[in-house]
Amino acid sequence: MRPLITAFSVTLLTAGGFAADIDMPEWGSSSESEGYALGGGLWPVGLLPDGAPEAEEGEATAVVAGGAETPTNPDGSPLTFYGPLTTTDAVSNAVGNDTSDAGEILDQPAQAPPVEALPPIEGELRNVYFGYQPVDFLIDPQRLLTEQKSNDIKRFLEFHSDESDFKIYVMVIGETQEIPDDIDLRKLHKEWFSDQNTVMMVYHREHPDLTEFVYNETVRSALPKSVFDRIRQNCLREGAATDFAPDQVEKMAIELSIQLYWLGRLMAAEGTEAEAISEAESVYDLPASADAPELLREYAPSIFVEGSSRRAVSILITIAVILACLVLVAFVGWIVVLLRGMDRIGGGPMIFPGFEPVTRLGGEFSGGGFVSMSFDINDTSSHSS
Amino acid sequence: MKCPKCMRPVDHEAESCYSCGYSEKESAKKFGSNQVLLSRVHDAAHCLRKQEKDVLNSAIDQLELKFPQMLFCAYLGTLPGGLNMSELGFWLLNHGQVKGAEYARPNENAILVILDMNAKKVGISLGYFAESLIAEEESYRALMKARPNLLNGEYGEAIETIFRRLCKVLEKKGKKMRKLSHEELQAQSKALNENTLDLPEHFAPMLGLRRRLRAV
Repeated sequence: MRPLITAFSVTLLTAGGFAADIDMPEWGSSSESEGYALGGGLWPVGLLPDGAPEAEEGEATAVVAGGAETPTNPDGSPLTFYGPLTTTDAVSNAVGNDTSDAGEILDQPAQAPPVEALPPIEGELRNVYFGYQPVDFLIDPQRLLTEQKSNDIKRFLEFHSDESDFKIYVMVIGETQEIPDDIDLRKLHKEWFSDQNTVMMVYHREHPDLTEFVYNETVRSALPKSVFDRIRQNCLREGAATDFAPDQVEKMAIELSIQLYWLGRLMAAEGTEAEAISEAESVYDLPASADAPELLREYAPSIFVEGSSRRAVSILITIAVILACLVLVAFVGWIVVLLRGMDRIGGGPMIFPGFEPVTRLGGEFSGGGFVSMSFDINDTSSHSS
Repeated sequence: MKCPKCMRPVDHEAESCYSCGYSEKESAKKFGSNQVLLSRVHDAAHCLRKQEKDVLNSAIDQLELKFPQMLFCAYLGTLPGGLNMSELGFWLLNHGQVKGAEYARPNENAILVILDMNAKKVGISLGYFAESLIAEEESYRALMKARPNLLNGEYGEAIETIFRRLCKVLEKKGKKMRKLSHEELQAQSKALNENTLDLPEHFAPMLGLRRRLRAV
């Protein structure tokens, strides 16, 4: 009986299971995922790897995901992105983005994406560089320097402009880019800064030797060319100390700042108030780089005439005082040695020649030679006998 | 030279004082004819501490190295009232025997410093040889230099000062004698033993003239 009941219940339960309709999950259709865009529509589709084919198939301009329009310049012209563009090919060739078998990719050496050549300075880029008087001290519209270094250099140049009579503008262009032929930097300098004491340093990325320094006319005419050559030489030397472009710009800017400080001193010395300034303060009291006094001495010897003679006199006085002190010390030492040596018996044994004594008063060894003295404090009379 | 008793001038070869008749025999009668044994620093008055005595002996050792012929000794005592220091010095140098003094240092080379703690007096007795090297003025200057120490009761230091001062005199004398030739030394020795009375110059004008010539 029990086996029959068991077989019946098993048959009943299995039949119920087959008869029930269970809802199972299913994959959605491909048409529903077409609305998803990487980045939530913040990025132009043309810059996204997956959206490249769509951009090619669409209209001529890049289509912004989410229906936004392509960004343009205020005058309506399309905006050109000068930063390090990422092409779709480069992205697809990058490691990890290839759709082929992963094993084969790992065997291939990783290749850096090809660097896009910098465009020539013309058109809009030319306007950005030379169209208007610069607002910042660092002119780098192509972002050729790192952001952090750019900020550091900007802060330094601002600090320098607050503290110094000279202002420094640093213009950064690419190593392959050239300043257009019709651009005269001196004229541009005069147009922008009129006759303010301003130096414009045009730096070619990673090529400090191509750097140009443009001074205003007043400064150029006040001092000989060799002064500016030396400043340039010092700056180039600092720039050549490193290969990293942002560091080169930073070092050259710092050196230029130091050299301009001395240039200011030199110009002040050359001016009408040279004598008053040279009397008021000594150039040796000023902190500066090591070669700066030589620079001044070479091109403005007049400010050293009085100072050098005064200094020579002070040196002579110092030497004389030192010598006098040495002589005094030696004299005191000699006196001390003399006093101490008065009772000191040194040297080797001393033998006296033989002597045949003649006796006196019958004494065999002494004839009564005698000297005496009283040391009684109450007895002031002392005598010798 | 003067008589130890009456302090009158005495001739070089006089057997006794012309004034008082004092001689070695009289001193032997007074102090004794026997020989006495002395230390280099004979502290009969017991006024030197051991440390002072050691320092003084060390200084004397150093001086004897420099002057191997010379004998440096000191006698510190409390002498009775009637006893004359000069007579005691005369007798000690002729009858004393210093312990440790070898043959090379006879009493005639002795420099004896005598301190009378009773009378607060200090004196220097010289043997014949030392007498020929050290003048009375030099001896007196040595005593004067030691006077501050004596007044302060620093007897050991005072005796050392006296010896050092006399040694400077000996050193100068030795340096001068090195420059003299043998003949000059003989002449000097002969002049010392000249049989002349040690009289003041106004009593012996010829002697003063000779001294001045010798100085020149």
